[in-house]
Amino acid sequence: MATTKTLRVNGKAVTATVDDPATPLLYVLRNDAGLHGPRFGCGLGQCGSCTVHINGEPVRSCTRPLSSVGARDEIVTLEGLGTKEKPHKLQTAFIEEQAVQCGYCINGMIMQAAAFLKKNPKPSVPEIKTAMQNNLCRCGTHMRIVRAIKRASEA
Amino acid sequence: MNAMFEKTFPRRDFLKGAGALVVGFTLANSMRASDAAAMEIGPYGPPVDQVDSWLAIGEDGRATLFTGCCELGTGSSTGLMQIMAEELDVAFDRVRLVGPDTSRTPDQFVSSGSRTISAHSRPIRQAAAEARAALVELAAKRLGVPAEQLATANGVVSVKSDPAKKVTYAELVGGKQFSVKVTGKVKPKATNEYKIVGKSVRRVDIPEKVFGTFTYMQDVKVEGMLHGRIVRPPAHGASVVSIDESSVAHIPGLVKVVREHDLIGVVCKREEQAIAAAQALKITWSNWADLPDMKDLHSTLHNLPEYAEGYPKDAPGGVLTKSGDVEAGLTTAAKVVRATYLSPFNHHGSIGPSCAVADVRADGTTLYCGTQTPYGTREAVAKFMGLPNERVRLIYTEASGCYGQNGADDVTIDAIVLSRAVGKPVRVQWSRADENGWEAYKAARISECVGGLDQNGKIVSWQARTFGLSGYSRPEYHEPKHGGEPGSLVTAQLAGWDKPGLEEGFSGAAGNFEPVYEDMPNKRVVFTYLGPTSHRQGPLRIRVGSMRGVGSPDNIFVAECFMDELAAAAGMDPIEFRLKHQPRPRGVAVLKAAAQLAKWETRPSHSKPSSGDIAYGRGVAMLGSNTDTNVAGIFEVAVNKKTGVVQVQRAVIAQDCGLVVNPDAVKNQIEGGIIQSISRALKEEVTFDRSRVTSLDWSTYPIITFNEIPDAIDIVLVDRSDLPPMRVGEPASESVWPGVANAVYDAIGVRLRQLPLTPARVLAGLAGNA
Repeated sequence: MATTKTLRVNGKAVTATVDDPATPLLYVLRNDAGLHGPRFGCGLGQCGSCTVHINGEPVRSCTRPLSSVGARDEIVTLEGLGTKEKPHKLQTAFIEEQAVQCGYCINGMIMQAAAFLKKNPKPSVPEIKTAMQNNLCRCGTHMRIVRAIKRASEA
Repeated sequence: MNAMFEKTFPRRDFLKGAGALVVGFTLANSMRASDAAAMEIGPYGPPVDQVDSWLAIGEDGRATLFTGCCELGTGSSTGLMQIMAEELDVAFDRVRLVGPDTSRTPDQFVSSGSRTISAHSRPIRQAAAEARAALVELAAKRLGVPAEQLATANGVVSVKSDPAKKVTYAELVGGKQFSVKVTGKVKPKATNEYKIVGKSVRRVDIPEKVFGTFTYMQDVKVEGMLHGRIVRPPAHGASVVSIDESSVAHIPGLVKVVREHDLIGVVCKREEQAIAAAQALKITWSNWADLPDMKDLHSTLHNLPEYAEGYPKDAPGGVLTKSGDVEAGLTTAAKVVRATYLSPFNHHGSIGPSCAVADVRADGTTLYCGTQTPYGTREAVAKFMGLPNERVRLIYTEASGCYGQNGADDVTIDAIVLSRAVGKPVRVQWSRADENGWEAYKAARISECVGGLDQNGKIVSWQARTFGLSGYSRPEYHEPKHGGEPGSLVTAQLAGWDKPGLEEGFSGAAGNFEPVYEDMPNKRVVFTYLGPTSHRQGPLRIRVGSMRGVGSPDNIFVAECFMDELAAAAGMDPIEFRLKHQPRPRGVAVLKAAAQLAKWETRPSHSKPSSGDIAYGRGVAMLGSNTDTNVAGIFEVAVNKKTGVVQVQRAVIAQDCGLVVNPDAVKNQIEGGIIQSISRALKEEVTFDRSRVTSLDWSTYPIITFNEIPDAIDIVLVDRSDLPPMRVGEPASESVWPGVANAVYDAIGVRLRQLPLTPARVLAGLAGNA
């Protein structure tokens, strides 16, 4: 049976109707909310490119069933983290360090790092690497990503 | 053509509408080849029957470049814009770029081989120079001053002796239309006049990518679009016996189950419905299990028949080099060294699996995809559909980084088949397993070397032979040979297309297999092509194709590891040994620059055995030619003798790639190439059982993670701005496999000759079972 659900995404209400409550949150964010930040990479929770925040916690939206997200949960995506006009300090740092190649993984990198910096605002380089250990980048932008996170932590 | 898919800024409207100065290339193609060569344009200009405009300066003074080059996430479009702004003398932010679209940009062939800047930028530079000259001529008339007394800067033409007397490009264009033909007579700027080229301008694509506003291929949506998924055979050679459509009857939103020969797909209204339908669809497939046992891969390669049809005349296969008498040299040698090197298949490993959107209609087909060959793929798709080229419009849309040919072209056939079947636009998104299971892999290799040293440690004989698979993968050859063959695509093969494709592998797979050293009297270097192969055709049903470097990484792995083995046999320092055999001058320069930056300690390898658990070593590798990029890489490793884990702690790269258009973007590419290649050197190996590839996700195909990257990648760009820009994305990455393998040898004193250098192989080597 189709179920209709209203979510709070980037401070706005998003309503979606799905047949299966186990539908991953990712598809609702991309196809119903029309967002480009969260990205499909593996559908298995392995790469991190689909990462969003739910109540401030980094979550792999490709494996998070819609049924587990409530109307009061605050979902934030890369678009909600900051904008060109009001950038998050990580977004600024990623531009300053030019820490992007193809950029497909960058959503996950920034979202994971943003949640991490909230808990550990002044991390060491090894702490940054460990925090980012489960986010995959294929272009090999790792050095710059680490530098950008470090820079943001010092901003 | 479907008007609804017109993006903003349709080219023809732009050119017909308001005023503009448009540079066409029609004349350039009627010029003699020698003229084109004199302009250093090469064969990279658009063909005469294609779109004839190259760049346009609007009445707002903004310049727009129409390019057939695909931005693949490397920053090449920013470099093209720098080159164009430089030659036009307009501010960088007054330049914009329109990427490949078969209805409005010229054909610049394949965006591959690190050639967007090194080759494809040349006609763009020339066109911009001609546009500036034309504007100066207009200004000369307007101001009544001879052209040679005028100067250009920042979109303004002014009188040199009286700068207050000036006119802007915008004013010159006004509301009028000017058509400029490229003459080849205008000389582009000299390097020492550059103000924008050579600067680390920030990449234009990065802000959108960090704010989540960038539209990747995977984000393309068109009105009325449905969602498709495909269901691949469980074995490479399996065929459909029957389909039980009742197995998906319960899926809400199901539009259709589509079958075209062995290409099976489902189309649904919503994406998650299509995923569910693809998972639920019951298909009975024929049995097929004709792959070799994986442990027999390299002996299988060794025994495969050579490429049956003989080599095309211009193919670089067969005997690459033969000089002197190798056998005679070996009989006089004081020492003979033999080695066999093995490497596995590799995935490209794009983080985003391939995706395409097709809208097949009676009046024309529109296709969005992330190909590297917009015109070639358009032609392949048109042939597949039985349509003339003009009835298919391909709009290139940047996807996840590809590092060679991933599934970007194959998925177009899936989308076409599904859209054609339902009469609506369909988006097909491959799953991770679709991508890993059906893309074209970097070929596995077996290579055999024999070398002889005289009593003074000089190489008297060098013989190297490698067995390289060629494959059906790209629908288009590199320029100037044009292609467009659906038979190259495994999806077309699945859909029953039975004409042959183009055998990828003749366009550079043998590159860099010849040693870079001049002083080798007796030399024989042989590249033996096998195949061609695909999952559905050929003597080994594993599909191979272009991956970053196209054969070079394997070739250099063999050549530079063997050079190191000979250095060790001669008891000489690896760098001294290389210098003794005379690399070309630019090679000597990068080798010395890397050694200096790395503070290389001159001594023979291997290092003294360490007493602790960790053994440290350093290794070097070099590559390049007189006309191409030269690189020397030095790698410092720590090998844990208990666990077998290799960690690359530092990489030092000296690179001479001629004129550097954007130093930071070049460093970004070098760093990325190093890290990706370390991952391939240490971890990556496509696995398969007797039926199919089994490394279908990131747990079965692990790649490098943050804790495994080097502490530092130090780069020195040797200043050769007197030379034209050369390739950047591939060369440095190609130093990694041999450099790391040589460093591991230096650390543990055991030569490992099979990639990847996994803990198990390191431990086996330490136990004497390498």
